[in-house]
Amino acid sequence: MARGAAGVGKSTVVVLDNGAGFCKAGIGGEADPSLVMPNCMARPRSAKKWVFGDQISEVQDIQGISIRRAMDRGYLINPDTEKEIWDRIFKTHLKIRPSECSLLLVEPLFSIPAIQKSTDEIIFEEFGFQSLYVGNAPALTHNYHAECAPESFLAKSNCSLVVDAGFSFTHAAPVFDGFVVNHAAKRMNLGGKALTNYLKELVSYRAWNMMDETYIMEDVKEKLCFCSLDISTDLDIARRRGRSNYYQCDYILPDGIKYKRGFVKDPDAAAAYISKRQRLDSEVEEGVQEVISREAEAPREELRTIGKAGIPTKADQQVLTLTNERFLVPEMLFHPADLGMNEAGLAECIVRAVKACHPSLYPVLYSNVLLTGGSTLFHGFKERLETELRPLVPDEFQVSVQSVDNPLLAAWKGGSLLAASQEFQKAAVTKKEYEECGSMRCRRRFML
Amino acid sequence: MDDELGTPAARRSSTRAKKVGAKVSAVLTDPNVRAQAALARLDALESDHLAVETIDLDDDDEASLDDEEQGFREKKAAKGTKRKTRRAKAQAMERIGNSKKTPRTFLELLQEANLESLPPHLPSYVRAAVGPPSSGARRHFCTVCGYLAPYTCTLCGARFCSCRCKVVHNDTRCQKFIQ
Repeated sequence: MARGAAGVGKSTVVVLDNGAGFCKAGIGGEADPSLVMPNCMARPRSAKKWVFGDQISEVQDIQGISIRRAMDRGYLINPDTEKEIWDRIFKTHLKIRPSECSLLLVEPLFSIPAIQKSTDEIIFEEFGFQSLYVGNAPALTHNYHAECAPESFLAKSNCSLVVDAGFSFTHAAPVFDGFVVNHAAKRMNLGGKALTNYLKELVSYRAWNMMDETYIMEDVKEKLCFCSLDISTDLDIARRRGRSNYYQCDYILPDGIKYKRGFVKDPDAAAAYISKRQRLDSEVEEGVQEVISREAEAPREELRTIGKAGIPTKADQQVLTLTNERFLVPEMLFHPADLGMNEAGLAECIVRAVKACHPSLYPVLYSNVLLTGGSTLFHGFKERLETELRPLVPDEFQVSVQSVDNPLLAAWKGGSLLAASQEFQKAAVTKKEYEECGSMRCRRRFML
Repeated sequence: MDDELGTPAARRSSTRAKKVGAKVSAVLTDPNVRAQAALARLDALESDHLAVETIDLDDDDEASLDDEEQGFREKKAAKGTKRKTRRAKAQAMERIGNSKKTPRTFLELLQEANLESLPPHLPSYVRAAVGPPSSGARRHFCTVCGYLAPYTCTLCGARFCSCRCKVVHNDTRCQKFIQ
């Protein structure tokens, strides 16, 4: 293992978490990535030129923006596009010279050799990095979380089950002693992108045609979707009319003239379900009904007047009203079968991943379920997963689900910690080694 | 498939139903076609290849404007032109050299990698898939309003929850599998 150290001094390490949704980049050792940008190229409808993901926020007309990604199903399939994006990251944002740096790249689990080879080619041949280390998100997330809470059971056992619900897929990966147990990791082919597209499909049938508005719908999903804890009750509530239906909320779509970006009409009303739901837990259903109707009187009255005043403006406001879509969309992660996918839900996915490990690890893994990835940011995700998981796990085991501090950036932060440590230079593959042995041999060292 | 137009469809009123109803329903009630449509829909959930789609989109807009007042025949024709334009656009793009190397999709690469041939104890992309659910129970949501849907459309197999939704379904989306 000490081979890699030869010839490489202490150099800057670039940490790049190249997710299919967002690309997180920064310098190793720092606390936060200096850049988080959508990992894509975009083109507004009016323009001929493609712009980079980080420029989307400056784009004037967001409607019908086309998005091109270098990734398909989470894996890098278009090295040319990715090269352009990385080029921009390194030159414009990080302002580094690749030939003077090492790279820590976060790659999805189970990449196939052809993709690994083309990735290595860009890194060493196009950019000419000094050395490369390829890590994976579950292990880095685990290490980061263990580092954050050194006294926790997770850190002491150094063993956890990381649920990484990303943009293209969801992995349940047992991590043991800082490494992913590859043969036990399980994958669901459902992630944030599919959920956005599903929401798009639902909305396009019911209200506005949003089939070409992926970017806007992503925003709607992030702002308004949440996980239902009891789907049948919630469906009943969503069916109600008027103010007792506290799931209903409006999103103002951008029209390109008055509103350049979409926004939630009344964020407080949109978040009302959180407090309502907590109260539902503690009180008897019927009593709550009264409370809701009584309490709603005062503030909702105001709302209605706003609504009335807003009627004249309605002509120029494009309002997208969501009710049951808000929780039916994340619901698919737990029951992909409802979509017609022949796949087990997330809870079952976790159980299968655990069962593929040695039985003596079962109790440790079940009590250290760690959530990461952007799709776990739905409100109530953790509670929902707990309620789904509990009946599937034998009752002598304790089930404990915890979220990492920052699910979007956890893998990057883990990478940053690793990049700053002594081990990095030892584990990394140098350019010279790559030139001598080629891609395949080098990869074996990362245990991928 | 080769049913004569007269017999079962004659009771229906619309010309569209008379002309194509029987044939279409024969195709649509075929479980294979339904399964294919379901697969295509799942595939669409993963797609974001807008480079091609945006070009189509403009054509679609025009087409939909055209056939707003006219009937089904025009729609069929519109479909034809759409196909043509897509092909033409693809050729045009090749000519321009916009897509120097069309990247292969991940599934193609996966097939090429031939992971099935690896010994079974090695973990791989294919073996990491979670597999089918243990219970086959599936909840059905109304394709129109999203609530639990007890009824199935006899023609296309889509779900709906009430008469109201059935009307909407019949008017707008029956037999137009999600495209």
